[in-house]
Amino acid sequence: MAAKSTSTRRAGVPKGRRAVVVGGARTPFVKAFAEYLKLDTIALGTAAVRGLLDRYPIPRRDVDSVVWGGVILPSVWPNIGREIALDAGLDPTVEAMTVTRACASGLQAITVAAAAIERGDADVIIAGGSDSTSNAEVKLPQKLVHVAAPLMFGKRTPADVLGALGKLMPLSELLPRVPKIAERTTGQVMGEAAEDMARRNEISRAAQDEFALRSHQRAAAAIASGRLAREITPMATSVTAGGAGENWVHSDTIVRADSNLEKLSRLKSAFSGGRKDHGGNGAGTVTAGNSSPLTDGAAAVLLMSEEKAHALGLKPLARVSQWAYVGVDPSDQLLIGPALAMPRVLARMGLELGDIDLIDMHEAFAAQVLSVLKALGSAAFARARLGRERAVGEVDPDRLNVHGGSLAFGHPFAATGARMVTTMAHELHDTGKATALLGICAAGGLGAAALLENANLP
Amino acid sequence: MSDFLVELGKRPAARRLVERLGLPLSLPQTLRRGDGPWEERPLGNWKVVVAASPGSKLSAALAKTLAAAGASPHIASGEDAPFHELGEAYGRPALAVDLAALPVGFRPEAAIFDASALDDPAGLRALYDFFHALSPVLARCGRAVVLGCPQVATLSAPAAAAQAALEGVVRSLAKELGRRGSTAQLLLVNPAAASRLEPVLRFVLSARSAFITGQPIAIEASVSAPAEPPLVRPLEHKVALVTGAARGIGEATARTLAREGAHVVCVDRPSDEGAAGQVARAIGGSLLAVDITAAEAPEAIARHLSERHGRVDVVVHNAGITRDKTIARMSAEMWDDTLAVNLMAPVRIDQVLEKGGLLRPGGRIVCLASVGGIAGNAGQTNYAASKAGIAAYVRRRAEELRVHGITVNAVAPGLIETRMTAAMPRMILEAGRRLSALGQGGQPVDVAEAITFLASPGAAGITGAVLRVCGGAFVGA
Repeated sequence: MAAKSTSTRRAGVPKGRRAVVVGGARTPFVKAFAEYLKLDTIALGTAAVRGLLDRYPIPRRDVDSVVWGGVILPSVWPNIGREIALDAGLDPTVEAMTVTRACASGLQAITVAAAAIERGDADVIIAGGSDSTSNAEVKLPQKLVHVAAPLMFGKRTPADVLGALGKLMPLSELLPRVPKIAERTTGQVMGEAAEDMARRNEISRAAQDEFALRSHQRAAAAIASGRLAREITPMATSVTAGGAGENWVHSDTIVRADSNLEKLSRLKSAFSGGRKDHGGNGAGTVTAGNSSPLTDGAAAVLLMSEEKAHALGLKPLARVSQWAYVGVDPSDQLLIGPALAMPRVLARMGLELGDIDLIDMHEAFAAQVLSVLKALGSAAFARARLGRERAVGEVDPDRLNVHGGSLAFGHPFAATGARMVTTMAHELHDTGKATALLGICAAGGLGAAALLENANLP
Repeated sequence: MSDFLVELGKRPAARRLVERLGLPLSLPQTLRRGDGPWEERPLGNWKVVVAASPGSKLSAALAKTLAAAGASPHIASGEDAPFHELGEAYGRPALAVDLAALPVGFRPEAAIFDASALDDPAGLRALYDFFHALSPVLARCGRAVVLGCPQVATLSAPAAAAQAALEGVVRSLAKELGRRGSTAQLLLVNPAAASRLEPVLRFVLSARSAFITGQPIAIEASVSAPAEPPLVRPLEHKVALVTGAARGIGEATARTLAREGAHVVCVDRPSDEGAAGQVARAIGGSLLAVDITAAEAPEAIARHLSERHGRVDVVVHNAGITRDKTIARMSAEMWDDTLAVNLMAPVRIDQVLEKGGLLRPGGRIVCLASVGGIAGNAGQTNYAASKAGIAAYVRRRAEELRVHGITVNAVAPGLIETRMTAAMPRMILEAGRRLSALGQGGQPVDVAEAITFLASPGAAGITGAVLRVCGGAFVGA
């Protein structure tokens, strides 16, 4: 398609201060509790940042800061951005912060960095995100902490200890709780939310499975074409599936080139509303096959001001032109946010969906993506929720998630946004297309969207 | 005083035992009440069955109300296009339901029959078919709502008859449904007031109307209304005056108004300053300790409002007393005190507020009437006089203030469990509780929720009305 000049620079941002993506690097994404078991989120993030600096060997002193996203943060070192900067060998003067916005954390890090560049606060920022579900902390119950803390501080007598023991009854309340991806306000588990959305938006099991299959097929094709190799930095691991010594992961391990509809359709539904043993009616449609799996991984993006990139003689791939974050009631359709955030980005740019060349949506669940697509295609939704007469538009499947998505690659929460930005920036650069619109749903009823523009176009 | 049967009814085992033994006890259903401030979607995931007489013009308003409140519409008859449109927008597709073959285990939370276009008694049969099928399956604490048309001059005689018949159906239905904690309401929507239906319908469907049943509620277009009344935090930036705010219904009202965002000026007698002050502090309001029957009280109230706020948006004339004796034994002082607090103080305060220009367009006045004022009680000639007077006062006052965009209404509590009713003789109290359709007394918060609703911008369609909060305590023959 012919490149179209959008000339929609963010109001008031001088041309040289526009934020551009120079490139990205990520670890291969692997299933949780597998190859990266012994690598925490800091180790994964460090590997991604090192990989980025290897690929784009800019003078280290030019890096102004690190903005890092994380969802499952270690409680003792929650500012993992700083730890990653130090471990990656960046100068101690490179300041760093950590941002968290559930599954939109990676994109959040990138838009925080872009805003800082636009403001002139910084010229070069490494932004990205990482998560290791394998290293989620299993927390001691608050009750035990509150009773035991006084014993740890100051002198204690045997009577104090006995008294404390008495307060701990019944002991069953002391069992550590398994961390669970459930909403704090509603208690709803993510998959139940997806199940709910599938039912309410009348998304069939077959449609979900087909969407998941396409994600795997496109991701497999992208890997086979070699185009992802420039985004991935191989990862050294200390354990293997066999338990032997150091080993290397070179490529994403979750993508299944050999998946097919027949296999997918045989999987059982995974969540209550689906599972009979969870009080559901057995009619569930959300399965392990059409949901994104728990994943470990990290992704980093090198962002600069346009003028700095040119001064360093680098050829930027894409501009980070616009973004929007929205909230919806988590007790309603938890993951519908992108259907509101993406039109908001378009409206701010004065664009229509039809003007957009590429659309990349985070695939938490096939049911969630298909629900968002249905809302975007609905005039009724546009009238009631967006205050516009016409539907935002039907998304052309040929422009949507052209190289697959989280269903196939997996979803290391905070890394996903940076993965999407990197892949889309390369895609714009490779094809000469003008625009890519990103959409991400997140826990808490959040939605995120961002627009990338080809950096070669004015 | 706690209600033994209500407490017993909360225990499923006791409920089963009473049924098993065939005891002649009717355990009242524990009512579902609102929890916290008004919710965005008070009917989240409710199944609501909707039917309409041919030619109704309320389908769009009905569909919007249900979609915004989070309900899943089930269409039995009538125009379904607006339901499909909004069902798509909010991800709650409208489903068709066949009254003659309801799905097994189908337990809708609400059933709404739109009879606003009903113009012939023959059309009433559809109303029978609807509730004949649905009343047995309506969920506990469910809602039956009939939409009708007020007796406007353009109605033909058969249409007027058919419309009047709706009231009989709803009053009787309320008594049938009460045992299961469900209510029935008739909303009489003036054809010009369809846009004002949503907030009222939302309220009567919600748990906030737990103790209101068997009521015809007229929705008129005579007072100007905001285009999009707020559905949550309706009283943000509003200043409310509540008399008798130290305890009981007044305290509950002050707390509820504040919960919805109002700054509440709590008025009570200087002797109750401590209790009223505690309420004011707890809700971030302010305290004004005056005896409302004192000659200078209206001026003191007006001065306080004028100096601190420059206006008042909501006035709740709640302060009330009883001085019960048969008229033969009643002293003149008992007569005078009761009339002074219950009737004359509201009149005098309103006059001063109006003269001072403190009541603005969008203002709301809510008075406290009483079912006792409608039905009469031995030993309450003074009290019933004051409360019957209030009912007429709000009707006339509403007409006067209509052009200024101000509504004037009253709520008429039935038996509400307060300090006042706890002092009633045990047998009379017990009889009072069981005579209501819901088989129990109400809570102060039930009255407070009704007052708060009438005080909200969305209640613009209701003025000059007396809304009973009595659990359906009306006996007919």
